[in-house]
Amino acid sequence: MSDYDTQQDKYVTFKSGQEYYGLKIQYVNEIIVFQEITEIPESEDYIKGLINLRGKIIPVIDVRIRFKKEPIEYNDRTCIVVINVKDTVVGLIVEKIAEVVEIKEENILPSPSLGNEDKAQNRYVYGIGKVGDSVKLLLDPEKLLKDEDLNLAEQANEEALIEGE
Amino acid sequence: MAGGFDTQDMLDIYLFENGQLLERLQEIVLEEKDEECFGEESINEIFRAMHTIKGSSAVMMYDEVTKIAHKLEDVFYYLRESQPEHVPHMELVEHVLQVVDFITSEMIKLQNGGNADGDASDYVAALDKFLTDIKSGKGEKGKKIAENVHEEPKHYYIAPVATSASRFYKIYLTYQPDLQLANVHAYKTVYALKEIAEDLLHYPEDIISDESAADEILENGFKILLQAQVSEEELHEIIQEGYDIEKVEIHECAANEFLQGFDSFGTEIRIDLESSIEEIEANAIAPGDYVIKPKSEADEKAKPKIAPGDFVVESKEPGKAKKLAKDKPKKQEKTAYISVDVAKMDMLMDLIGELVISESVVLQNPDLKVPGLKLDNFHKAAGQMTKISTDLQNVIMSMRMMPLTNTFQKMNRIVFDVSRKLGKDVEFEMVGEHTEVDKNIIEHISDPLMHLVRNSVDHGIESTEDRQAAGKTEKGKVTLTAKTESGKVWIIVQDNGKGLNREKILEKAKKQGLLDPYKPDTAYTDKEVYQFITLPGFSTNEQVTEYSGRGVGMDVVVSNLQSIGGSLEIESVPGEGSQMIMKIPLTLAIIDGIVMEVGNSSFVIETGAVKEFFGVREDMIITDPDGSEFVMIRGECYPVLNVGEWYKLQNYKADRTQGMLVLVEIEKKIICLFVDRLVGKQEIVVKPIPDYIKKVKGLSGCTQLGDGSIALILDPAGLIE
Repeated sequence: MSDYDTQQDKYVTFKSGQEYYGLKIQYVNEIIVFQEITEIPESEDYIKGLINLRGKIIPVIDVRIRFKKEPIEYNDRTCIVVINVKDTVVGLIVEKIAEVVEIKEENILPSPSLGNEDKAQNRYVYGIGKVGDSVKLLLDPEKLLKDEDLNLAEQANEEALIEGE
Repeated sequence: MAGGFDTQDMLDIYLFENGQLLERLQEIVLEEKDEECFGEESINEIFRAMHTIKGSSAVMMYDEVTKIAHKLEDVFYYLRESQPEHVPHMELVEHVLQVVDFITSEMIKLQNGGNADGDASDYVAALDKFLTDIKSGKGEKGKKIAENVHEEPKHYYIAPVATSASRFYKIYLTYQPDLQLANVHAYKTVYALKEIAEDLLHYPEDIISDESAADEILENGFKILLQAQVSEEELHEIIQEGYDIEKVEIHECAANEFLQGFDSFGTEIRIDLESSIEEIEANAIAPGDYVIKPKSEADEKAKPKIAPGDFVVESKEPGKAKKLAKDKPKKQEKTAYISVDVAKMDMLMDLIGELVISESVVLQNPDLKVPGLKLDNFHKAAGQMTKISTDLQNVIMSMRMMPLTNTFQKMNRIVFDVSRKLGKDVEFEMVGEHTEVDKNIIEHISDPLMHLVRNSVDHGIESTEDRQAAGKTEKGKVTLTAKTESGKVWIIVQDNGKGLNREKILEKAKKQGLLDPYKPDTAYTDKEVYQFITLPGFSTNEQVTEYSGRGVGMDVVVSNLQSIGGSLEIESVPGEGSQMIMKIPLTLAIIDGIVMEVGNSSFVIETGAVKEFFGVREDMIITDPDGSEFVMIRGECYPVLNVGEWYKLQNYKADRTQGMLVLVEIEKKIICLFVDRLVGKQEIVVKPIPDYIKKVKGLSGCTQLGDGSIALILDPAGLIE
C-alpha cells in the first residue's frame, strides 16, 4: 500500500455562484483567508492584483470574473486557493471553500459539449464528477490560467531562464 | 577518466577547491612580482598549493594537470630546500602564471562538462629547463658569494632614523658551542628584533645563505647594533637565554658610537631602506632579465668604501619600525568563507521580511488596545525583540555584500599581462578595494572593468620612449579606486598616460556623421566629446592590437553598466591622463525609495531619481489643447503625469492643489508625477512582478512595505517614454 498515492482522486471543491467546482488536489498548495490585494494597473479585469504570501508576491485572479459572472463583494467566507500550475503560482479567489472529496475515475463524465452552462465557463471544465447526488464541475487549472495567459507566462519564464544562464 | 560512479559531487569539490587555490596562487605571485624573489612563506604556500592540486588531480585522474602541477611543485621544492640565490624572478613569475592559466583553462573545460584534455608537455618541458638552469646557476654563483664573504666581510646596514626617543644598543649573543645551524638561530633573533627596530645592523651580515656564518657565530658570537625605542628590559624579554643562546649581553651606547658600527671590522655596505625600490626604478631593468644580485661583486664596486655616517637617510615615518628590504609585510589573516546557494539567501531574506511584518502585527495588535491593560513588561520584551530583528536584517543585508578585492586582484593580472605583452612598464595601484558591493553587481562589473583597465594600459599609457620625450616618469601608472559616494559605488580607472585626444575624437565623429553640422566644434564640451567614444564602432586607435582598438567595447561597457543602473563618466587632461568613473548602485536587491500613495495604491520611486517635491497652486498648471498638463516652476516648464489617471486608479485626488508633485529626473529628462500623498522614505527589497501578469509600462517591480502591503515600484525611465 505504500505506493498508493494518498492524493489520488482527491479534489478540493469550492462554491462559486450556485455550482460547486473541483480542483485536483495536486495543484493546490494551500488555502488562505482573503487578504488585502494590491491592484495592478492595465491588466485584465479578472486579475485582481498581487498578494503577499509570506514574502512571496503572487498574482490572484477572481474565478467569478474569469467565468464572466457578475463580481460580488468579498466577505468572511471568501478564500484564496493558492495553486501551482507548472511552477506558476497563482491565487484563486473563491466565494466559499467546500470540502475535499474523493471522486473515482469512473464517476467522472466528460464535459458535455452542449450544455446550458455559460460558454466561458465550459472552456475550463474538463469533466463532471458525481459525488452522491451532487455534481462537481472539475476544472482544468491550466486552462483556467491559460488561453493567452499561461502561454505568455511560460514564454516569460523561459526567457528568464535563458537570461539567467 | 574517472567514471563508472557518480563523480559529480567530487568534481564540484575538486573544481571549487582548485579554483580557490589558483586564485590565491595568482594573488601571491602578483603581490610579489616586483620583489627580487619570492618570500619564504610564499614559496611554501605555492609549493603546498601545487602539492594539493597535484594530489587531487591524480585522484581525479587528470594526468596533464597532475604532471604540470608536479613539475611546478618540483621547482618550488628546490627553491624551498636549496634557497638558490639567482633565480630569474620574472621568468619564474611567468612560469607560475602560465601554469595557473593552464590549470584554470582545464578547470573551465571540466566545468562545462568537457574533458581536461589540454597538453601540458610544452609547459612541463619549459619548467624542466628552468629548473635545470637555476640548479646549474646556483652552484657557480653560490661559490662566488662564499668567497666574497670571506675576503671582505660586509655589514648589512640599515640607515638609522634619528628620533630623539630612539636608544642605541650593542648586543652580543653567544650561542651554545654545539648548536646546529647557528645562523638560523641568529636569523630568528634578528627577525624578532625587526619588529621593533628602527635600524638594525648585525655581523656576520649574511646569515641566511652563507653556511659558514654559523661557524663564525659560534666562534666569535653574534653581534647586533640596534636602534629602537625600547628599554633594555624589553630587549631582554625579546632575546632570552635559552637552549640556543648561552649568553646575552646588551649595552646601551651613544648615537655616534652606533654609527661607527663594529669598529673592529672592515668595510660596511650600506643598504638603506628604500634601496630595492630605488634600484629597480633607477635601473629600469628590462623585464625578463630581472635579476638582482645584492651580494655580487658589481654591487660592491658600485658602492666603494663608505665612511660610516655618510648617508644618513631620514625615515619618512620616524618611530615606525622599519623592515629589512627582503622582508615581506605580514600576511593578512585569510577570512574563512563558505559558499551558500543564493536562492537560500533570498529565502532567508524573504523570511526575515516576513518576520519583521509579523512582528509589527504582534506589537500593534488591536487586542493590546483594550483599556486598563498593564503592558510594561510586554513593551520591554517587545523592545528587545525589535532590536534583534533589526540586527538580523542588517546581517542579512551585509551577507549579500562582498568586497571588491577579488575583482581588483584580477585587474592586477590584466595590467601585468597587457603591459608585458606591449613592452610597457606599468605600475598598478589599488585603492579602497575593500569597498563592499552586492554580489550581483560584482558579477556585472567584472567585464566592463576589465575592458577599461585594458584600455588604460593599451591606449592610455604611452610607450616608454614617448613618456621619456614628454618628460614623464618612465613607469606608467594605472590606479583602480573604489569608494562609496552619495549612495553609489564609484569605481575609477585612472591612468597617467596621454589622455584623450579631443581633436581626433571630433574628427572621427564628424566622419561618422555624429556631429550636428550646424553646431561649431567648439560648442561641444569636453564631456560631450568624450562620450562619443562610448558609441558603437568608435575607435580612434589607428592600429588594432590584440587587446583593443577594434571599436567594440566601450559601447558594451556602457550598456552593461546601464543594465544595472550604473553610468560611465570620462574625464581627461591631455598629457596627464584620463579617468573613467563608473558609478554603480550598491545593490540591486535593495533600493532606497520614496513611498507615496495614489488612491488606494502605494507606489515607490527610487530616491536617486527624485529631485524635489512641491505643492502646486492652480495657476502653476498649464493645460494644452490636447489635455496634456505642464507645470511652471522657477520659469521652467515640465510635463505633468497624473499617476492616478495614467493607471486608471480609483479614489485618487483630482484636485491638483490637494496633492503633491514629485519632480523626477532621469538621464537629463525631467517629468513631474502627481500623487496624492507622500508617505516617507524607506529601504525596500525589490521583487519582480510575477511573470503571470504581463508587463506594465512604468512599473519595474514590486515590494512589500512595513505593514505587509504591496507597493509597486515606478520606473522613471519607463514613465518618461
